[in-house]
Amino acid sequence: MNTYRLERRLDVDTKKSALTRIAGALIAMAVAGIVLLLTGRNSFKILFDGLEAIFGSQRGLEGVALRAIPILMTALAVALSLRMKIWNIGSGGQFLMGAFAALGVGIHVNGPGWLVLILMALAALVAGSLWILVPALARAYWDVNEIITTLLLNFVAAQLVTWASLGFWRDTEAAVIQSTKRVPYRLAELPGTDSLTIALLVPFVIAAVLFWIFRSTTIGFEIDTIGGNPRAAAFAGINVRRRILLVMLCTGAIAGLGGMLQLSAPGARQLGPGYEAQFGLTGFIVAALAGGAMMGVLVGGIFIASMFFAGLVLQTKGLSVYIIFGIYGLILTGVALGEIAARYRLVRVGDVVSSERVAS
Amino acid sequence: MIFALIENGFLSLISSAIPASTVVVLAAIGCLLGERVGVLNLGQEGLIGIGGVYSVIAVVTWGVSSPWVALAIGMAAAGIAGLMFAVAVVVFRASQVLVGLALALGGIGLSNQLGTNRNGVQVRAQFSEFSLGGSLVDGGVREAFFAHDPVVYVAYVFLPLTLWFILFRTRHGMNMRAVGENPAAADAVGVSVTWSRIGYSVLGAAISGAGGAYMVLSFTPTWSPDIARGRGWVALAVVIFAGWRPVRAVFGALLYGTMFSLGLTAQARGWGFLFNATDLAFFLSMLPFLVTLVAILLPAGAAKIGKRVRSTAAPAALAIPYSREER
Repeated sequence: MNTYRLERRLDVDTKKSALTRIAGALIAMAVAGIVLLLTGRNSFKILFDGLEAIFGSQRGLEGVALRAIPILMTALAVALSLRMKIWNIGSGGQFLMGAFAALGVGIHVNGPGWLVLILMALAALVAGSLWILVPALARAYWDVNEIITTLLLNFVAAQLVTWASLGFWRDTEAAVIQSTKRVPYRLAELPGTDSLTIALLVPFVIAAVLFWIFRSTTIGFEIDTIGGNPRAAAFAGINVRRRILLVMLCTGAIAGLGGMLQLSAPGARQLGPGYEAQFGLTGFIVAALAGGAMMGVLVGGIFIASMFFAGLVLQTKGLSVYIIFGIYGLILTGVALGEIAARYRLVRVGDVVSSERVAS
Repeated sequence: MIFALIENGFLSLISSAIPASTVVVLAAIGCLLGERVGVLNLGQEGLIGIGGVYSVIAVVTWGVSSPWVALAIGMAAAGIAGLMFAVAVVVFRASQVLVGLALALGGIGLSNQLGTNRNGVQVRAQFSEFSLGGSLVDGGVREAFFAHDPVVYVAYVFLPLTLWFILFRTRHGMNMRAVGENPAAADAVGVSVTWSRIGYSVLGAAISGAGGAYMVLSFTPTWSPDIARGRGWVALAVVIFAGWRPVRAVFGALLYGTMFSLGLTAQARGWGFLFNATDLAFFLSMLPFLVTLVAILLPAGAAKIGKRVRSTAAPAALAIPYSREER
């Protein structure tokens, strides 16, 4: 009689690991659906309503694309740091500070639109990387764990934006009580769309550049080496501390630029509470799902952005935003368990015995 | 006159900082317990929410009238969440960072969802004041230090001292620390790594849940969405600041609470230095998180510069899954 048991794999195939992570996420979503059914909500109807909201109209598809921009930007930021086994959980804060700096430039600098937009983008890049500077220096030179330091700054950024929107940059003319002034400049529109701008191209360009860096450049190889084994990387002569600093500043800059791009989204040309809208956390989930693979981030990001958008639409039909949080939690657990599942394989005990016989 | 004013201000600050930091003290002790055996639970924010919402449900829906029973129900709920976490990270060896964040997200989502119909409902099962040594001192000092809930004394005095004694003065505590530092060695001498990790991370989760329960039963005392508001993350930071030592964690938490109540006091009294009153309130609301950040950086920085600091390093096996096959 054959019985099965789990055996550890010596080498974990990255493709298999990606598949098991996706399987984990899908199982988690199925579990979420069952939980919703058990609590008296029709999860099939939710699924179909969601699909209809996305694919039923051009507006739906553009809605997904609009959410995909900030999610992809924060996800790429997190994915970049994950290559080095560094967890940047503060991408939401860097996103906000990028938007904050870009808005500051946008409402105070007068000039030709294209020039101001470039200045806004530069300000966002700098602000995003400055926001992670202290955690990055502490991680690189003092070995302070980056998870908590990056996360604490999210709360500071949120408070600062609240301050700006109620205080020093408050829009005194509009009827909205809590919001900053509007940026009068907007990125060029994508032809053939109603609401999209060239902002949509940016995450794809960044993903392509990062993909190339990790595939064909020395620095990309060094970062992967540090991610695999920092001690070995140091022995190989790589300046690990400086690479950590560089990578962390770049992740902050990417997230910050995401904040600036979001200023071009319809209805988001000013800052207020809710501007960040959990894009940081959502991006984190995408990066975890993709496991640091840049092309995986693009696919996973669009998938999660569809869910995000469907959630927003269904919110107007009585699905609470908190349920989405719960589903995120389940997905993340599924991803973490899937990652582990790839490390094992089922073997028939009978086969093991026969292979031992061959060996003796 | 001026001395009296400063003394008065200081005492009133302390009297509001102590209840404000109790949540952080409890969550920090909960984290520390798990982290000493090598389990990093980033889900504190979720555990506080779950502990809080089930205490509210116990009182408002199930009609529990004793705050202690409500506290126990909140702790049990958080403990169950902690058990699910522990099974995923200890038994299945999933990434503690990922599952911890999942617990933070899922816990916030679950507690807010369950609390939806109970927003702002007064929780009518509060602890009575336990005036320790009430007859000895009077006035401001009594208000500041000796006029709080019994839970406060448990959190500030009983739990940290007990945990300190167990960790550093008993054989069992030495085994616990060994599991966090070198699980293979602990395993070799017959300590069950799996069971101590599961047991202490569940107990730690329950204590963190007690923090949430304390918030809704005594501090606020009502349910509001996102009840933790970053306190869970602050608790994780406090453990780092404290160098994984229970008694020091109390002072780290107090630092947060003092900054927090400074903001409230400034707002209530309309103080305005450096900024006008509104702007000062905004600035002070950022301060608890900034001060916590600096508090984590200081010990590490001092150690690098060469100042002698007693061991502040994390348990060596923190957040690393243990597998016998991989020794």
